[in-house]
Amino acid sequence: MKKRGRGIACMWYPIGFTVAANPSAATVKINTDGTATLLTGTVETGQGALTVLGQIAAETLGIATDDVHVVSADTDATPMDTGAIASRTTYVTGNAIIKAAEQAREILFEAAAPMLSVKPEQLEAHDRKIQVIGFPQQYKTIGEVAHHSEIVIGRPAIGSGSYNPPTVEMDPETGQGKPFSTYVYATQIADVEVDDETGEVEVLRIVAIHDCGTPINPMLVEGQIQGGISMGIGFALQEEILFKDGKQVNPNLTNYIMPTSLDMPELEVDMVDNYDPTGPFGAKGAGEPTAVPTAAAIMNAIYDAVGVRITSLPATSEKVLSAILEQKAA
Amino acid sequence: MATKTKEVLESKVKDSEIEDLTAPDSLKVPAKPALKPVVVPVDKPVVYPLDLPESEIRLRTPAVGQRASRPDGRLHGLGQTQYIDDMTFPHMIFAKILRSEHAHAKILSIDTSEAEAMPGVLATLTGSEIPVNSFGPTLQDQPVLANEIVRHAGDGVAAVAALTEQQASDALTKIKVKYKPLPTVFDPLEAIKDDAPKVHAPRSNIYASKIIKKGDVEKALKESDQVFHKQFKTQMVEHVPLEPHSSVAMWDANGRVTIYSSLGRITLGRDDLARTLGKPMNKIRLVGTIVGGNFGGKNEITTEPILAMLSKKTGRPVKGTFTRGDEFISSTTRHPFVMDYTTGVKKDGQILGRKIRLVLDGGSYCSWTSTTLGKGGILAAGPYNIANLLVEAHAVYTNKTTTGAMRGFGAPQVCFAYESHMDDMAHALGIDPLEMRLRNAFTEGSVSPTGQLLQSVAIKESLQQAAERFGWKESAK
Repeated sequence: MKKRGRGIACMWYPIGFTVAANPSAATVKINTDGTATLLTGTVETGQGALTVLGQIAAETLGIATDDVHVVSADTDATPMDTGAIASRTTYVTGNAIIKAAEQAREILFEAAAPMLSVKPEQLEAHDRKIQVIGFPQQYKTIGEVAHHSEIVIGRPAIGSGSYNPPTVEMDPETGQGKPFSTYVYATQIADVEVDDETGEVEVLRIVAIHDCGTPINPMLVEGQIQGGISMGIGFALQEEILFKDGKQVNPNLTNYIMPTSLDMPELEVDMVDNYDPTGPFGAKGAGEPTAVPTAAAIMNAIYDAVGVRITSLPATSEKVLSAILEQKAA
Repeated sequence: MATKTKEVLESKVKDSEIEDLTAPDSLKVPAKPALKPVVVPVDKPVVYPLDLPESEIRLRTPAVGQRASRPDGRLHGLGQTQYIDDMTFPHMIFAKILRSEHAHAKILSIDTSEAEAMPGVLATLTGSEIPVNSFGPTLQDQPVLANEIVRHAGDGVAAVAALTEQQASDALTKIKVKYKPLPTVFDPLEAIKDDAPKVHAPRSNIYASKIIKKGDVEKALKESDQVFHKQFKTQMVEHVPLEPHSSVAMWDANGRVTIYSSLGRITLGRDDLARTLGKPMNKIRLVGTIVGGNFGGKNEITTEPILAMLSKKTGRPVKGTFTRGDEFISSTTRHPFVMDYTTGVKKDGQILGRKIRLVLDGGSYCSWTSTTLGKGGILAAGPYNIANLLVEAHAVYTNKTTTGAMRGFGAPQVCFAYESHMDDMAHALGIDPLEMRLRNAFTEGSVSPTGQLLQSVAIKESLQQAAERFGWKESAK
């Protein structure tokens, strides 16, 4: 008989390396038409990092996402970056990009100030314009200013910056310290159906609410959450490298079972409203934590459905069935 | 809609073919420029218009907060993304790596002479030819190609470069390696014992430990209304990126080496290459491309130094792409954890103290184990206010596949344990699992297990929002 159950799991997860320095650097070059080029040493590994980093540069310069072209991952051309690891790209590289873009923007403010008969600190960059704070009708387009600065004054608008999250060494005996600058939080709730005659678990629905600070690009955060859940389902129910005498027995995708689109439940993903003052425009990160609570939520849902506690992953049908049979025998 | 577009395009192709091949010039109907398909010369030609309009969202200001599409998305959709394995260079050849079948053995000899005589083979390589034959992000305990001892079935022992992948694979079977098997240990709880076979003799198998201590846990457990204990275990899993590890290395006549790689971290990758190749950093160019999935598995070098040395030997660009089998047996995997949780609670669900022991199966080499151990240990108590805490975490070597960085660095393992444990306690105390969590969860300004004051805490908000969205109250049995 198929039995329904629900399970909840929450988690916390840090952004960046544990204590160790993990800096990022960035360079922003504003072209004479007001578009820009961002140089970053990080790598696009499928998570959408370059889009988010471009949005951060664009926001700082007051231009649109598409106005920024992102050049990445060439040690001959791009500045150093600790890389696509530890859910650190948006937060660490993002903060470095803000510093770089601010430096480039400052050059524009200094060029625009005499053009608008104000001081540089009275200017802001908004909607592709350099405008007077409080008097948005007084403006020059960023293209005009960038062109003027580079071609007339002879001062190209280029900026560089770097960022490293502040941490405090952990005491070796007690572990006390500040290993990370900030953390994210999340809850996932799973709705499952367990066949108590076969032990088969079907995940019907997962609700996932994640904190990533203020999302730079909500669509890409949703994508991360969806992908993380699929990885979490594999970890929970299917995936396992098996060994015999130290040799893997299933090193192939025929015998190493992982979720396909057919195994994916109905997903409802969203973000909590949050702002981290240390992050770029309030953002933290979203990469790894999305895969963290899924297995725990599913195990709790299995317990709710059939009353057995699975203490070792994955909860294969064989394992769930034998737990059910053991419980009946007891 | 998509099907219709395809039909239109196909009909346009047909039209243009008819125009080009059969119709006399005088009868040709001029093609409308806006609809003229572009044929891109790739292996399997695809036909599509390249002048698609830009997504409106990417043109909006302010940029932050916009659901902007990815510039690489269109390239993926149109099959234009250049992954490493799509790249080709003039005179490029292919490398394959012979891997150990033994989980632990001393290498007595490696004879590559027969392989070198095979058709198409241009060079072979063993570990002794690599200038500095070791690497690793924390401990440099892993050989690029093992030349003394193999520590798991999957360690590379020799490489071949040949004109085709097939010739390289065929030549691998002709390499003769003599091994003397050594005693093995596979279970981390066995490996932790003093008399267990040593994976990196004479060093202890326990190669990293972490302790987090707060308050007086023994006293708290004594003062608790109820104490719960359970052991949890997790398995080894693979990252399974769609794109396996892949690189192309080109050593030029100036002694400068350019490497295109699927690595996710090029700055530190170049550091590792400079070290293993014994070259100044400015003589190495490492280029990352769009990576087809990383999940932590592409955070350190694998074959790059081997390909560079083979390129140096042959004067040709050398490509090496992992088979799915290589990906499983030789790249890193997720650490299996053995987790013992003991928690003391009051009747109302408040956690008074928690004691945790984590044993990580660290596999054959350190890789990113220290990081996994640290994060796993720090996060192990969960997002809860626990005044009295003791976490003891150890990583041990075993003769299994190397465990390393993988999405979550130990967090999915400990979350499985602390959240299963939380539900067990809630059920025993007759408290709703959501309520049990809300009573213990961090709030703004909570102090973490390491004594850190927490900011922008949103755990309760996420619990409440998820419960509401799910219909937690309504779905209660």
